[in-house]
Amino acid sequence: MKTLRFIVVVVLALSTTASAQWLTYPTAGIPRTPDGKPDLSAPVPRSASGRPVLSGLWRPSPGIVGDITRGLKGGEVPFQPWAEALFKERRANNSRDDPTARCVVGGVPRSDFVGYPLKILEPPGMVVILYEAVHAYRQIFTDGRALPKDPNPNWFGYSIGRWEGDVLVVESSGFNDNVWLDNAGRPATDALKVTERFVRKNFGQMDIEITIDDPKAYTKPWSVTQQLAFQPDTELLEYICNENNKYFEIIPKLTER
Amino acid sequence: MNRIFLAIALVCLTSAAPVAQWLKHPTPGIPRAADGKPDLSAPVPRTPEGKPDLSGLWQPAAMLIGDLAANLPRGSVPFQPWAEKLYNDRRANNGRDDPTANCIVGGVPRSDAVPYPFKVLHMPGGLVVILYEAVHSYRQIFADGRPLPVDPNPSWFGYSVGRWDKDTLVVETTGFNDKGWLDNFGHPATERLRVIERFVRKDFGHMDILITIDDPGAYTKPWDVTLPLVLRPDTELLEYICNENNKYFEIIPKQQ
Repeated sequence: MKTLRFIVVVVLALSTTASAQWLTYPTAGIPRTPDGKPDLSAPVPRSASGRPVLSGLWRPSPGIVGDITRGLKGGEVPFQPWAEALFKERRANNSRDDPTARCVVGGVPRSDFVGYPLKILEPPGMVVILYEAVHAYRQIFTDGRALPKDPNPNWFGYSIGRWEGDVLVVESSGFNDNVWLDNAGRPATDALKVTERFVRKNFGQMDIEITIDDPKAYTKPWSVTQQLAFQPDTELLEYICNENNKYFEIIPKLTER
Repeated sequence: MNRIFLAIALVCLTSAAPVAQWLKHPTPGIPRAADGKPDLSAPVPRTPEGKPDLSGLWQPAAMLIGDLAANLPRGSVPFQPWAEKLYNDRRANNGRDDPTANCIVGGVPRSDAVPYPFKVLHMPGGLVVILYEAVHSYRQIFADGRPLPVDPNPSWFGYSVGRWDKDTLVVETTGFNDKGWLDNFGHPATERLRVIERFVRKDFGHMDILITIDDPGAYTKPWDVTLPLVLRPDTELLEYICNENNKYFEIIPKQQ
């Protein structure tokens, strides 16, 4: 495990740019204390219709970055036997076959569990997430459409959202069977359904309560909570994974040890 | 010439997903004729502030794809000598060293002139975001009054600010690295590149981007092209994951 964390940190550090501008530019329209500092304990901002506004630049809590089960009380997920064997194999070979090693997008929910910020936008009828990681985006349709039946399988799946009181409930399906749920390599199949409940707690904090329902890989649904912290007065960096990808230089050396 | 088009077409076909859902889902909120068909000649939609709303799913016109200078008189691109030589080398070797062959983003203005649609999100407060189907990437344009950064970390998309000149969004972009190609054909650019894009929505279904390339490192004077866009109603972006099945380096060597 320690080796894995080390690799992830090294690979991430090498793949992303180290500095950029607008990283200290004041974010417009956020509550501030009299001394000008962002007031992250201010109330949840609300739209004209009274719903919580989710927009903003958010940083996933480092707590479950890499290993989704660090948020689980029971310690481990309810694997199907083949999925547990595959997970152990991936741990043993230092995630050699990780699709994101080739700069493929992390998908859902893995893109919520990365060490990079994400920006939420709420254009009409949609929620859009711009991920710093791999410079990718995801669309969540909140215009009442249904999830597609038998869609072309893909990495981010297809996402629709609806409001339940103050909570945005996002359902995603239509994944391919290549997706990893986290850096550690917990598997998923094309039967994966992900439910994410976005709960903004105050101006500066939001939880995503995530339920994994994949009966081919797990014996029952299981849930984790990802905490996000609002990032004021800064911006996304341009993360171009293919530009200087060292994954396949580093992993073999660690595996040989 | 035919070869590079074939190569590009093959790479594009093999890299993008061929089918997906929501490709026939009616786009909400667009004007329609009595028979329900989208009315692409309807007036320009406007934001609450009265500016043209640039939002929508847009398809670049085919004519500039590949060669940004396709509509200019032959030989009129004002190359510096070294840039012309590099351009000719790239044409001769079928774009072998194209950075997008490695699935790197196309940057600006190249991402505007690709055979894939992009979605413009025109947000309140002056943020304009472009979601590109190509390489599943995005770009932010800050039209909130901030200046361009001074001496920024060089990047592929550069740094973009926008301001309104009457009904035209004028976007200025600088801060590029010196690796970007202006188009598939390989018109070079340097760190001195400054791109001006003037977004002119002409009616509901049509928008032009008037592009000025100002790069005194590669060209003797600025040069302009116009890229027409057509609104794509009742369809959606596909998930284009370039790294999943990239055949570029299998195809290009065979062409040589």
